[in-house]
Amino acid sequence: MFQVLWKLRWFFWQQRKRYAIAVGLLLFLNFVEVAPPDIVGRAIDLMNQRGMTAGTLWDLVGALALVIVISYTCGFTWQYQLYGGARVLELSLRKRLMRHFLQMTPRFFEQNRTGDLMARSTNDLNAVSQTAGFGILTLIDSTTYSATILVTMGSLDGWRLTLLSLVPMPFIALAMTKYGKMLHERFTLAQDAFGDMNDRVLETIAGIRVVRAYAQEKHEEERFAATMADVYRKNIAVARIDALFDPTISMLVGITYLIGLGYGTYLVFQSQLTIGQLTSFNVYLGMLIWPMLAFGQLINIMQRGNASLDRVNETLAYKPDVVDPPTTVAVDRPEEIRFEHLTFRYPTSDRDNLSDIELVIRRGETLGIVGRTGSGKSTLLRQLLREYPPSQTGALTIGGVRIEQIAMDIVHGWLGYVPQNPMLFSRSVRDNVRFGRHDATDAEVLEALRLADFVKDLERLPNGLDTLVGERGISLSGGQKQRIALARALLVDPEILILDDAMSAVDARTEAHIIESIRSVRQGRTTLIASHRMSAVAHADWIVVMDDGRIAEEGTFADLMAQGGWYAQQYERQQAYGEEALDDSDAIALAEERG
Amino acid sequence: MIDLNAEKQVNKRLVEYAAHAKGAIALAIVMLVLAVAAQLAGPFVAKAIINRHIMGIQQVWYEVTPRAGGAVEWEGKWYVRADRMPAQSKRLNPHTLVAVGTRTYFLDGVVSHVARGNEAGQIREQEGGRSQLITARPLTRQQLFSFYRPEIPGVIRLALVYFGLLAGAAIFLYGQQYLLQVSANRILQRMRKDVFHQIHRLPIRYFDNLPAGKVVSRITNDTEAIRDFYVNVLANVLSSIATMVGIYVALFILNVWLGLMASILIPILIVWIWLYRRATVSVNVRIRALLSEINAMLNETIQGVPIIRAFHREQRTQAEFDELNQAYYDGQTRLLRVNSATGFNLAGVFRNSFFIAVIAIFGWRSMHLESLVSFGVLYAFVDYLNRLFQPVTQVVNQLANLEQARASAVRVFELLDEPGVDPVFGSIPRFCGEVEFDHVTFSYDGEHNVLKNVSFRAQPGQTVALVGHTGSGKSSIINLLFRFYDPQGGQIRIDGVDIRTIAPQQLRQHLGIVLQDPYLFTGTVAWNVSLGDERVSRARVEQALRDVGADRLLAHLPNGWDEPVLEGGSTLSAGERQLISFARALAFDPAILVLDEATASIDSETERLIQDALSVLKRGRTTFIIAHRLSTIRDADLILVLDAGEIVERGTHDELIRLGGKYRQMYELQTNMAPASGA
Ligand SMILES: Nc1ncnc2c1ncn2[C@@H]1O[C@H](COP(=O)(O)OP(=O)(O)OP(=O)(O)O)[C@@H](O)[C@H]1O
Ligand SMILES: Nc1ncnc2c1ncn2[C@@H]1O[C@H](COP(=O)(O)OP(=O)(O)O)[C@@H](O)[C@H]1O
Ligand SMILES: [Mg+2]
Ligand SMILES: [Mg+2]
Repeated sequence: MFQVLWKLRWFFWQQRKRYAIAVGLLLFLNFVEVAPPDIVGRAIDLMNQRGMTAGTLWDLVGALALVIVISYTCGFTWQYQLYGGARVLELSLRKRLMRHFLQMTPRFFEQNRTGDLMARSTNDLNAVSQTAGFGILTLIDSTTYSATILVTMGSLDGWRLTLLSLVPMPFIALAMTKYGKMLHERFTLAQDAFGDMNDRVLETIAGIRVVRAYAQEKHEEERFAATMADVYRKNIAVARIDALFDPTISMLVGITYLIGLGYGTYLVFQSQLTIGQLTSFNVYLGMLIWPMLAFGQLINIMQRGNASLDRVNETLAYKPDVVDPPTTVAVDRPEEIRFEHLTFRYPTSDRDNLSDIELVIRRGETLGIVGRTGSGKSTLLRQLLREYPPSQTGALTIGGVRIEQIAMDIVHGWLGYVPQNPMLFSRSVRDNVRFGRHDATDAEVLEALRLADFVKDLERLPNGLDTLVGERGISLSGGQKQRIALARALLVDPEILILDDAMSAVDARTEAHIIESIRSVRQGRTTLIASHRMSAVAHADWIVVMDDGRIAEEGTFADLMAQGGWYAQQYERQQAYGEEALDDSDAIALAEERG
Repeated sequence: MIDLNAEKQVNKRLVEYAAHAKGAIALAIVMLVLAVAAQLAGPFVAKAIINRHIMGIQQVWYEVTPRAGGAVEWEGKWYVRADRMPAQSKRLNPHTLVAVGTRTYFLDGVVSHVARGNEAGQIREQEGGRSQLITARPLTRQQLFSFYRPEIPGVIRLALVYFGLLAGAAIFLYGQQYLLQVSANRILQRMRKDVFHQIHRLPIRYFDNLPAGKVVSRITNDTEAIRDFYVNVLANVLSSIATMVGIYVALFILNVWLGLMASILIPILIVWIWLYRRATVSVNVRIRALLSEINAMLNETIQGVPIIRAFHREQRTQAEFDELNQAYYDGQTRLLRVNSATGFNLAGVFRNSFFIAVIAIFGWRSMHLESLVSFGVLYAFVDYLNRLFQPVTQVVNQLANLEQARASAVRVFELLDEPGVDPVFGSIPRFCGEVEFDHVTFSYDGEHNVLKNVSFRAQPGQTVALVGHTGSGKSSIINLLFRFYDPQGGQIRIDGVDIRTIAPQQLRQHLGIVLQDPYLFTGTVAWNVSLGDERVSRARVEQALRDVGADRLLAHLPNGWDEPVLEGGSTLSAGERQLISFARALAFDPAILVLDEATASIDSETERLIQDALSVLKRGRTTFIIAHRLSTIRDADLILVLDAGEIVERGTHDELIRLGGKYRQMYELQTNMAPASGA
């Protein structure tokens, strides 16, 4: 029932001072708290006996004032420390979650939905932090209070009666255990449902243009209504259990009271108990209700916290798919990238997405990758990013060392990556470009933007380099985004530049410019380009044509044109319209130039 | 900074929302009252048992006929309690049952005021100043028990009453708590439904600069924070107010002067609540805003992890997040400081100060003047004061929840108050497909014109191509056609009708678009094509997928068209995603089809296939194509060349080549540029 506290022991240990202070003061205050009624009682008695003097009056008032000061400062301190603990827990768990997300690879994000992860990082942490604050308070209060009452009761009225009236206590414990378990299950479901709802909303917002363009508003609302009905149902299921706690406890405590009263009466009838004793016993029994209710509340909070903590821990327990080996091999420079019979398959795929790739890219070379949609171009390039556990068959080596033996930081340090769908972050153009090198000067940023042919666009942005882009910035056209993403990669001046169809939304003229600039600055460094434009890779030192995860054709531009295979066909098709516009001699001259 | 008017409105609107579950709430409150009443009745029953059946036997007993109801045998005669005698019956041979210490005696005659005697077996009777010693034998246990025996049924009866009250209280308590939860959940559901509906009323512009995570935060987290208001705040505050009213009434009945004295608490409480709000409102607002920032950043980071990793940016991203997280923590700590400084701690200070005042005033009076009130009254007053502070503490403990709920509610209502337009559904006749832009001028921000005086006309069934440098305004033309935005100047007409007169949803019924960045929802491939719209049959879905060549490219999917698609289509290649969104546009069979760089990520072989299919599909519908590969648009009936928001050239491919302008330049570049340094 209190597993959650056990699971959080690292936290309580880490914050032991805070909790020692809080609990200590809390207990101390329990004693201070009895003083005021006593003082007032004494004062009234004195007045009653006409024994009040100025001196005693001052004493009494002074004592009360002292109590005020003590209980206020102590009360403030324990409350601040105890609830502060809850906040610290929330803070550090959220930090951990973020650190965890940042270590994760696509596999994790395929298994977890963004909205749900967000829910775990906010909504669930809320429930967890409750256990470390209010939960601890109820724990201390309910246990000390009920223990005090029981001891008092026992010593004043005899153990027999006290023990007898405790008969229902095991039932309370039993009921709480049962409810606690049910609550745990149902609350988990409710939190899951909240995550689903979060996800629904997130998807709707992210896809709002699709929803609008296809006039699916009504359907979306219907689907959301269904999601909410689910959330409602699951929360009501929680409420059903939730509402049981108090009535059950007050019922059972009531029965205790009844037993105490009945048996007490019997004892009085038997002259074994005085009426005064019976009365005070009843008063104490009546006082027991409050700590018992608090006990129920305690179980409630603990189970909710437990359910949410389980959800959080489930996320945190996911081991990173890709980790550095215990000993890494140092590689100074990526001299040669070599695919040795590499076969790869995505964890969710049921066929090989790359098979038997055999390829060598020497430092300074440019590799072009073309092929049909879904043929494996991006998959091939992403092998360098180390997003998946190493493949079992074949190897990818850099400078003769298997990539998984080189520290990931080193590999990432070599890379400049322009993904197929450019993602920009909510920050200025400048900060997006220097994403990989935050200390770059404006001159460097502008140079990178120039290489990506963004300078003319920059002039049109409302605040130049300071223009916010991304989610909360201005909307850029597809080609603009791609070019900023390109500048981002160029700025780090990487050893290995990976362009995954990085200019698909850029017009041909711009693309030609960019390719030209890239070629001039990338002398002596490796560049990998995947593209659907045959012309974009024509200048590469080596071109591979992918088909269904295999290399179908490879060679230099001239080789491939001579082979007359897929590449040549596509090249010609893309160029086809040219022949009509230009006269034949031009075409021949061009062909010669290329040859 | 804080809109005071909105502030004031919040309470009203929160209560208005409560009206959606007013039946349940009212019932819950009735149950609350009943439960409290039943609980309070419990002690009375206990008192009744003690007074009536235990203490009750200590009174005068009279002799009655043997074995009469409730009679007890004593030394061969039968006696019954005076209060159990029928009113008109004769009172004979009185005896008195008295308890002295732990001993009980059954004495002859009517005896009152007894005390223990000097010797064992003696008791002293005191009456009117004189006292008299009586020698008596205490009752044995059995004898005493025989006097109690007639009480047993009564005790059992009362115990049953008590049990009944207990059960009643339990049921009412359950009902009350359950109903409150039900109402809170129902209200929340209603609120979320309203917000979600509002999302669809807002103009697209609203989402331009607003991170998705922030919107999500408002719809889910902020509404969740309001739950407390309905579950705890409402119930606690209402029951506390009821209790306080009760205590005040009792106080005033006790003594008007004391009642007035205790009433000082009310203005204190009002000022307290007011000050608390002033001290925390801005912190609460900031906390909620920070939470939404956290959500936004979580969303963005999760989307961007591959890039963050590739750019080696984990640490800085973490640091940025920590900063937000820390700011959130700081805000909460500040709030906690205020809460700890007020709350029950301050309530305790006030309570004890009241005690000091009572002691001081009455203590002083007791020394110098005649006392105002009896000491019994004073005891009662102190007791009531003590009780009064219980609901007061409850109320002030809820202030934190209340303020948090209010800050969240402000954000929710803010979103609800954004101007928007209700979607209008209902079908309109299919367009013929004549599209005309008439001197259209448009700007996203009201400053920079993205489109300047654009005019063109597309005849039904024609194919219109838009070409131009990126950022020249091609997509913006489409945005206007779809009424995602409305132009500042000029008119757009479809079949001669100004599209502003047509509801956007109705307009879009007959428009189809393949967006530049395709978005796929979690679901299946087939679902993503039909979007679950029942107008799109399964056969149409499959046909559309075949038309775009997906049957060939996606043949490897183990579940065919029912293959699950993950969030954002993350397990599909970019081209495959684009194909699916292409199929979506075809499946809806629009009169006007728009392809915005629809084949940018698709290889030209597949593109060719699509084009072949399109040449059939394009028949009878007006098609707009935006593409960078000019080969794609060569056959268009009208090519519009855009430059910085203006149409600089227009005509067919051949016309434009002959014209020798920008288009020809672009065209030549594309056909000539490879492999070496370009043209
Ligand atoms: N994360 C993933 N999990 C499982 N399968 C995937 C994943 N990513 C891609 N695939 C599948 O692997 C195959 C190759 O995909 P890849 O993205 O490498 O294609 P591509 O050649 O880059 O295509 P495009 O030209 O469309 O960009 C496709 O069939 C795709 O469905
Ligand atoms: N939602 C928007 N808000 C503000 N500016 C935008 C928005 N969408 C596009 N723009 C800007 O308008 C100009 C034209 O963009 P667009 O029509 O998308 O160009 P393209 O011709 O590449 O499709 C660009 O400068 C772009 O940055
Ligand atoms: Mg790809
Ligand atoms: Mg565009």
